[in-house]
Amino acid sequence: MRKKWFVVLAALLVLVAFVFTGCQKEGATKRVKVKVEQWEIPFMNSLTGPIASIGEFLHWGAERAAKEINEAGGISGKPVKVIGVDTALDPQKGVVEMGKIVQNTLVALGPVPEPVIMAAMPIAVENEMMSMTATTSLEYAEKFFPWSISWFPKTEDRLPPLVTAWAEMNPEMKSVVQFVAQYGPWPGMAAAHNVGLEKAGVKVLNPVEVAQDMVTFGPLAVKALEQKPDGIILSCFPEKAAKIIQELKSRGWKNMSRILLFSSADDASLYSTGGASLNGAIIYNYINVDVDTPRWNAFKEAYAADHNGMQPPSLSTNYYDAVYMIKEAIEKTGVTGDPKKLKEERKKIAEYMANVKGFQGLLFNWDMSGGVPTNKPTYLFEIQDGKKKLVKEIRD
Amino acid sequence: MSLPLYYFLTITAINILMSWALYLPYRVAHLHFLTVANMAISGYLSGWLVQGLGFSFWAALPIGLLAGGLLGWLLSLFIGDAPTFTVVIVGFTFIYITRTVIENTKAVGATMGMFGLPLVAGSPAAHRWALLALLYALVLVVGFLIHRFEHSRLGRASSAVFVDKDLATSFGVDIKKLGRLLQVFSSTVAGGCGVIYGFLYRSFHLDFFTFQLVGLFMTIIFVGGYATMWGVVVAAPLLYGLTLLFPPEVASWRIVIYGAILVAVLVLKPEGFITRRLILNLERLLSSKRKKI
Repeated sequence: MRKKWFVVLAALLVLVAFVFTGCQKEGATKRVKVKVEQWEIPFMNSLTGPIASIGEFLHWGAERAAKEINEAGGISGKPVKVIGVDTALDPQKGVVEMGKIVQNTLVALGPVPEPVIMAAMPIAVENEMMSMTATTSLEYAEKFFPWSISWFPKTEDRLPPLVTAWAEMNPEMKSVVQFVAQYGPWPGMAAAHNVGLEKAGVKVLNPVEVAQDMVTFGPLAVKALEQKPDGIILSCFPEKAAKIIQELKSRGWKNMSRILLFSSADDASLYSTGGASLNGAIIYNYINVDVDTPRWNAFKEAYAADHNGMQPPSLSTNYYDAVYMIKEAIEKTGVTGDPKKLKEERKKIAEYMANVKGFQGLLFNWDMSGGVPTNKPTYLFEIQDGKKKLVKEIRD
Repeated sequence: MSLPLYYFLTITAINILMSWALYLPYRVAHLHFLTVANMAISGYLSGWLVQGLGFSFWAALPIGLLAGGLLGWLLSLFIGDAPTFTVVIVGFTFIYITRTVIENTKAVGATMGMFGLPLVAGSPAAHRWALLALLYALVLVVGFLIHRFEHSRLGRASSAVFVDKDLATSFGVDIKKLGRLLQVFSSTVAGGCGVIYGFLYRSFHLDFFTFQLVGLFMTIIFVGGYATMWGVVVAAPLLYGLTLLFPPEVASWRIVIYGAILVAVLVLKPEGFITRRLILNLERLLSSKRKKI
């Protein structure tokens, strides 16, 4: 009898040991002894200079995530701090700051935007440190894989379905002219719009170039209208897009649903410049502010409280999600922050992020494959009195 | 050498060379902003030669220098003796033209830029040492040439042109030839800087060559002192280093601080911190043969 109990007890002990050690589920949080008192995440951002307003809300998003994480117990039990590193859109400053960061940092956020990314990211790559360029297109981010990940799918995969959906909403639309600014990835985005139009059987007319230093837009509107288009796509700076729409309307353009604005135009300056003249125009973007979840509602309220009642801009969630992704990567790969294991732990984080599955973002869940998101949704909205009303969600 | 120190030293060298490239034509009252366009043209050309045609960096560098000099020479045929304002307008126009051409040239990456330029030496460390050595060798060579120029008849002639063109002409100074010489030299230096600048970052983007650079080089010249070459040597590391040393709380006031320094210098010391008199006094201190001025 005693022998039988002994066997049962031994079996139970083995079972308990198995449960607590060997049987750990894939993806579950690993219990490790963390070697840092605080996780520090540098964020190379443009906090001053021409895009300081964008830099501010990107940083706000990252800090918001850090605050929530700390209130919920931190990362592996230790608090996290996002450290703003201002590059002021200056590559000269960016390289020195990245040179400092790669010396002992586990993972970084940024840089922002493209000129600083191009100058500073080669340093992160050479030192094998993940730096999350969460605001740029795949075409930039992929040059630095596996030490960066892309927040967006390939432009030529992501945009054509959106434009096709818009064209299908306007079946009488047979020809479209596009206003394009020669800036960074925008010409590539314009080309992807054309693919979507052609797929919907819409004729692509000659594009109209919007120079960066242009201040009057009447001649551009005339140039576009003389081609007698049925539809317009605007792939240019927000305030210029608003002024072009005003010029088009003053020359008799009526059907506003046949005007499509690209995502980079979705900025406060579009609405402040365009006002009611934008009513009825369609704009596409990657977040839907009308989602009704407690987490998103809290984010929206906090953002409005800190920004005079404004809605969160489309990129404001990127670095919020990025900080949560870092938390997940650290906890699920058992990273300790031990300086002696810096190289090995940097690699663990990069590999985890590049292929994370079911990541719970602020607005939706998504998967990554080889550093590229595979199933993020995109949205078409109608603009009414400075607000966006959801028209359609497009998801692969 | 630590990475921050390496980038500080190399970018300081670039800023010294480029500020000299602006300073030298300013000796005959030419604000030669074409140099920023020269940087971009030679830089992108070298990138294309290396990535597109398989040239080595060491072959692309002299071609970049030559391209800078050639463009400088071509334009100097028209603006060698032009008034300051005309030279400024030509320079700005060329920056616009250059940007537009690059934006529309797919071979150099158009608006996206050029990525993944190769190392100029076998390993990342060798690459860094090679660029650092090359840049400071250039600083020494260009500095020596400018120093010799300033102590030559041509240097004295350019000082006369700066004060009064008509007077200089009446003394027999060929204003056009002098202006052309200085413009070609500065464009050549700028061309070389453009090549090295891109290989320093191992990429090219149009926003590496903006009007912000014009502002930076002008500030370096006017704060340091526009009457001698040494002002640039002092101001370039100080102004660049200051931005890196500012704590985050102060960093957002950087532009205000720059502006305040520039205004203060223009009001209190219009010639800049390093004046010709200061240099002469220093030379006398170091030489027993001369008396203090």
